[in-house]
Amino acid sequence: MSRLTQILIILVVVSSLFLCGIVVTYVANADNYKQKYDDLRSDKDSMSRKVRNLTEQVNQEIEQKKQLEDRLSAEIASLTSQVDKLQNDLKNAEREKSALLQRVNSWASIVEDFSKTNDEQGQLLKNTLDELKKVQAEQIKSRKELNETTTVLVEKMAIIETLDAETKRLLEEKTELQNRFDELLRPLGKAAAPAVPVTPTREVARPARPGVRDIELRGLVTAVDLKNSMAGISIGSADGVKEGMRFHVTRGDDFLCDILIIDVDAEEAVGVLELVQQQPKVGDNVSTNL
Amino acid sequence: MSPNGHSRDRKKVVASNNLYTIFLALAFCTVFATALFVGYMCYIQYGTIFKIS
Repeated sequence: MSRLTQILIILVVVSSLFLCGIVVTYVANADNYKQKYDDLRSDKDSMSRKVRNLTEQVNQEIEQKKQLEDRLSAEIASLTSQVDKLQNDLKNAEREKSALLQRVNSWASIVEDFSKTNDEQGQLLKNTLDELKKVQAEQIKSRKELNETTTVLVEKMAIIETLDAETKRLLEEKTELQNRFDELLRPLGKAAAPAVPVTPTREVARPARPGVRDIELRGLVTAVDLKNSMAGISIGSADGVKEGMRFHVTRGDDFLCDILIIDVDAEEAVGVLELVQQQPKVGDNVSTNL
Repeated sequence: MSPNGHSRDRKKVVASNNLYTIFLALAFCTVFATALFVGYMCYIQYGTIFKIS
């Protein structure tokens, strides 16, 4: 065997060992592409299935979204109409509120004026009551004086009646004496001279004719309305009653009140109660003079 | 040309050197074992040796 053949054998052996080692190393370390392919394919299939499911879900979601959108659109439309209606109601309410506020303000001013007027009226009423008390006191005083005067007048009237009776008796005696004197002088053919009074009679100034106040009108209380301080009497214009006349209501000797006539009919009249001392009743006496 | 003549010319093959024969056998065994290993791996991983599925 030549030297060249030996060298070639060595080279072949070494190169075959080297190349086989490289091949074995490469094959042992190579990736399993089939398994990778299968894995990827299964992954792809599962992903495709997922994509299909997700597409169906997306379509369902889109459908539900459309339905929801339609429903919400309808609700939005109804709510918009409600909002418009509520806005109109709000405007009306604000308008009514402003009108009511104006009315409240006007009423407040009216109430304030009324309060002022009420205070003034109260003050006026107090003053009037004070004056009324004074007038009542004066009236009581005048009544006492009137009673005294009436008593004196009654005494004087009694004296006048006594004097009238005396005068009448003297006139009768005078007539009798005159007749006797005439009978005595008749045989002698003489006549008695007319009697001349020692004290000449004087014309006395007479008081004027009594006014309406002094006309004696008497009647009865026919109706009483204490709530409105009104009363009716049983005489009217046919008896001479006129508006503005004042009647005194009495029960026995007690003074009850006055009635100021404000309305007159033919047979009855109505008036306002004044100076009420006691409450009048139906049947009490009324008269223009006490 | 007779068949006898042919067998007469035939010589006995004898290795000139056993050491180099062993080297060649080692190289052959290495290549053969590598081919078996590659074929085994192809069959294990792809299910076939030559086809491409």
